[in-house]
Order: sequence, then C-alpha cells, then structure tokens
Amino acid sequence: MSNNQEEEFDETIRKRLFSQVCDGETKPPCKVTVVGVGSVGMACSMSILLKHLATDLILIDVIEDKLKGEVLDLNHGNLFLSNVHIDGGKDYALSAGSKIVVVTAGARQQVGESRLSLVQRNVNIFKHIIPKIAEHSPDAIIIVVSNPVDLMTFVAWKLSGFPRHRVLGTGTNLDSARFRHIISTRLKVSPSSIHACIVGEHGDSSVPLWSCVSVSGRSLTSVEPNIGKPDGPKGWDKVHKEVVDGAYDVIRLKGYTNWAIGLSCAEMVESILKNKHRIMPVSCFVKGVVGIKEDVCLSLPCVLNASGVSSVVEVSLNKDEKSALDKSASLISEVQAGLKW
Amino acid sequence: MSNNQEEEFDETIRKRLFSQVCDGESKPPCKVTVVGVGSVGMACSISILLKHLATDLILVDVIEDKLKGEVLDLNHGNLFLSNVHIDGGKDYALSAGSKIVVVTAGARQQVGESRLSLVQRNVNIFKHIIPKIAEHSPDAIIIVVSNPVDLMTFVAWKLSGFPRHRVLGTGTNLDSARFRHIISTRLKVSPSSVHACIVGEHGDSSVPLWSCVSVSGRSLTSIEPNIGKPDGPKGWDKVHKEVVDGAYDVIRLKGYTNWAIGLSCAEMVESILKNKHRIMPVSCFVKGVVGIKEDVCLSLPCVLNASGVSSVVEVSLNKDEKSALDKSASLISEVQAGLKW
Repeated sequence: MSNNQEEEFDETIRKRLFSQVCDGETKPPCKVTVVGVGSVGMACSMSILLKHLATDLILIDVIEDKLKGEVLDLNHGNLFLSNVHIDGGKDYALSAGSKIVVVTAGARQQVGESRLSLVQRNVNIFKHIIPKIAEHSPDAIIIVVSNPVDLMTFVAWKLSGFPRHRVLGTGTNLDSARFRHIISTRLKVSPSSIHACIVGEHGDSSVPLWSCVSVSGRSLTSVEPNIGKPDGPKGWDKVHKEVVDGAYDVIRLKGYTNWAIGLSCAEMVESILKNKHRIMPVSCFVKGVVGIKEDVCLSLPCVLNASGVSSVVEVSLNKDEKSALDKSASLISEVQAGLKW
Repeated sequence: MSNNQEEEFDETIRKRLFSQVCDGESKPPCKVTVVGVGSVGMACSISILLKHLATDLILVDVIEDKLKGEVLDLNHGNLFLSNVHIDGGKDYALSAGSKIVVVTAGARQQVGESRLSLVQRNVNIFKHIIPKIAEHSPDAIIIVVSNPVDLMTFVAWKLSGFPRHRVLGTGTNLDSARFRHIISTRLKVSPSSVHACIVGEHGDSSVPLWSCVSVSGRSLTSIEPNIGKPDGPKGWDKVHKEVVDGAYDVIRLKGYTNWAIGLSCAEMVESILKNKHRIMPVSCFVKGVVGIKEDVCLSLPCVLNASGVSSVVEVSLNKDEKSALDKSASLISEVQAGLKW
C-alpha cells in the first residue's frame, strides 16, 4: 500500500468509529515555541510541558538530527503529557501564531573571549533568528534566555521591531531565586516566604537589594542593619558572591546549567500565559525607571501579565544600590555602543 | 568568623524573627531516591519534582562532581519547586527512609556485546547497589529502569530480599505509551482515549495485544479483525515495529533517550505514592499469571498502589499472543540461568 492508500484506510477506520460533527480544525489555543534544543532549551521545554502551560510546543534548531530526536522523545511521552501537540524543525513557519517564543540559541563564551566579542557573535545569530520569529508570530511575546541576557534582550527588541513590553529576558529571576534559596537555608523557612530581590545586570555586577529583604513584613536590615555588607555579619557578606558564583559552580561541576534556568523561564511563561500579574525580576527596556538614563535592558521587578511586562516597579534604592545600578547601566551601554548591527 | 560563629549569628537572627513552638524536626513525609544522575536519572528526577510527588529527593551516584552539580542546579530552582528538600551523595545512608527508590544505574550495551554479558556486568553493579538500598530503606518500593529491565528487575528482587510486590520495573509502560501515541495520531484522538497495551519483555520481543486495543469500548479488531498482523492493513502491520524501533530512532538521532522514560517512571511513582490503584503495564515477578511457568519478571498490566504491585491483570490472550509471551518468558529464563551471582 502506498501512503495514500494507508491514509484512505485510516479514514475508513475513523469513519467506522466516529460520527463527524465538524471539521475539527482550529488555531492552536496556546502555542509556545522554544528556539534551541540544547540542555537549556530542553529544560525550558520540559518545565513548560510538565506545568501544562501550552497546548502546542514547537522546537526550532539548525541541528536537524538532535532536533528530530528530541521531538520524538517528547512525543513518546505524550500520553503522560495529556496530548500536547509537539513538533519541530528548522523552519520558523512552524512557530507561526505562537503566544510566546523562548530564545535559548546563542554562542557560548570561549575561554578568554571578551564580552563584546561574544555579544557580537550572538548579534549575528539573532539577526537570523529574531526577524523570522517576529514575521511568523507578530503578536508574540519574546523571552530571551541567551547570554549575556540583558544585552541580548536589547538586541532582540531592536531586531524584532516589537513594542518594549513584548520583549523580555530571564534576567535576574534566577539570581533572585538563588538569593532567596540561600537565605532560606539560613533562616530555615521556605524560599517562597523570603522576599528578596536581585536587580540590574544578570551576572557579576548584579545588585542585591538587601534593604528590601524581608520575612513576613520584617526587613532583615531592621534586625541587622549591615547585613550583606562587607562590614556586616561575616557569614552574610558572601551571600551575593555565592549567588554570582552559583552558575560557575554548577558549570564547573556538571559542565553546564539547565534545570534552574528552565524552571525560572517556565515561571515567567506561566505568569504571562495565565495573566497572573505576578511580579518577578526580569530584564526589559528600563530607560526612565528609577532614574536610569541609558537605552538599556536591565532587570527590575516587573509585573508580568498577558501583555508581557505591563509595568516596572519603581523600587526604592539606597545610595549604594542606586550607584551600583547606574554603573551596570553604563557598562552595558558601553558594550552596546560597540556593536555592529 | 568561623563556621560556628556564623551558625551562632544565624541562630540569633532566627531568634529575633521567630518564636519557637517546637523543635521542628520530623521524618521526611515522602522521600524518593533516584540512583544514577545520567540523562535518564535526571529526567526521572525533574518529572517527579514537577509533578510535586516528593517532599524529599535524594540523588545517589559515584561520579561526585556531576552529582554535586546536579544537586546544586536543582536547589537553585527550589523556589520554583516549593521547597522540596534536595540532596545527594555517594553514601546510601542519605537515602534512608525512602518510600520509593528509582534505579537508573547500569552499564550501557557495547557494540556487539551479547545480552548475557551486559546483564552480567549489570548484576555486578546491582550487587553493590541493591543491598545498600534495602538496608537503608527496608520498607521501600524499588523501581528498576536499568536495561534489560525485566532481567534487572528480577536481579534487584533477588538481591533485595524484598517481597515481590515491592520490586518492579518500568517494563513496557513506555512501549505502551508509544503504541497508544502512534495509534492516536492515526485515529486523531488523544492517546489517553486509546486503550492499548504492550506486554511481555521490554524490547524487540514485546507483545502488542491487538485484540485488546479499543476506543470508547469498541475494539479495533471488531472493525478490522486482522489489524496489526502481517496479513492485515499494511499501514498497521508496521506499528509494533515502530514502537520497538522508537528507542533506537531516538538514540540514533540524539544519542540517548530520556524524557519519555522519565515521564513514564514518574507516572508509576505517582500511582504508588498517591495510592491511585491505576493499572499500568510494568515488569514484576509473574510466575503463575496467565500460565507463565518460569521464574521471571515480565510486563503485564498491574494495579499500582501504595503497597507497590497489588495485583496483576489476568489479560485474555489469543493463541499467538500467549505463544509470544511464553517465548519471551523462556528467552529470559535462559539468560537468567547463565548468570553468576
């Protein structure tokens, strides 16, 4: 039998089993696309699938065999995922009509490579990816995971032509989760009961807002004013470093990080798709907020709903925190100035 | 400050914040251990975590850095997992008091290696692992994922000294999921609405029960009596092969399989931990069921509840299916006879 005859036979079986009521063709109710099927892309995908956030999941990459293998593996588990429609390929047309597109594609930093060089390489990759995403899903919200995430969020925003509320980066959402986890182990309470936030640039120069760390409305600085500072209680002055080093520690031990960033990304996807209005520290265009003057993307606590970033919290910063944030902003601005578009 | 002084300071902060009511120490309410932190072990872990099945997750392996890295990565995402206690190491004492222990450790088949040789290598590994699991969690239920799973389930059962209802293998749960997925794409309905089952040995000689495939109570064989047979409709005679090849296809494309088996394993964990009494085709000791005479583990539909396997369904098999199942049983029995314990 040829494929056509097989199709006809299947049609016959279906006709014997079912009485057709309508043609059953519909737009995907909730399609999410993940670009990049490396460890990070797959961790984002599994987190999104297991949180039942999408009705359709599309994977896009250029490495065809790996991509096919991942799509097949996920489809084999489809029974356990309640029949999400999972597909993939290198053609962005598959992503058409996505509500959210998660971008994990990008080059990894080589040993000794300058930040500008890494960003430039990623700009060249994004120049291929972002316009196609925008073309096929003109109403989508783009979530950038690729590093350096603040710069790449800005690049994605510019290349997409989207309004600023629809392009965001995972930013310091994960840094803040690590921050809250560390504090939670010391206070012996759940991390979700610790309110704490790291803002600014995702990475070495992120800014921990110690003045805002609280448990049940009680700020830690009211209990110990110098907590987290170099001259404060010595166990706590290393907490921020432990957050920053967190990623490097995992990379040193297992070669890469993926589970935590995947979970972090899925939280953002959830708040957006379910219009939850949750506040999370994510990266978006922040010129004009808390006195930032440069055209940059940085993380600040943002309200995430179905529009994307509907507002940014004007956090109260003390003098040192403001100064550190401004410094982040100018560092990023400098690198951006050197990019070739 | 030394570590002790840091501890004291933390104690001070906690005393300022909290009024102690009790010492707060308790046994882990629901501890799950996963042995082996390769792709399969981690897929099982992330599926178990995202389905919120465990209060405590322990990872055990011998590769220390990789293990530490995985534990750290998961802990960084702990905020998003609602504070599951996650830890790991090479010491099985960490696994003490587990309700379920998932075993993914084992050697991979070398090119040209005989089945007996692979099994013997895995017996030697299990001789180190299983007694320690049993020692530290004498009431646990062991789920074996390592291949060849039916043989390894038998080996684990013998080495553990546990009653037969507490040692099971993932068996043909995944094969059946693949089977249902393929049929579902052809009938254009959800795989969960296609009832179908593959039994026997997990792998090449598994037995698809075509006579039991049904949709809404209507068996496919009532519509097309020869469906799935070599002399039946030609599109459908290849379905079983597609299931068997499924694993090889994924391995060929991406190097290994993990997501589907992880999801499959988590479904079993869920039915056990939540005492759901769901029926799934899993591998367990089946001598005496449907006339099987050998001392072997094979997959048949089993009722999974908090005791483990509480009963096995006496499926109705036609002549060919019975013959294929008996053949599976003797093949496995032969290999077992050659093992050195």
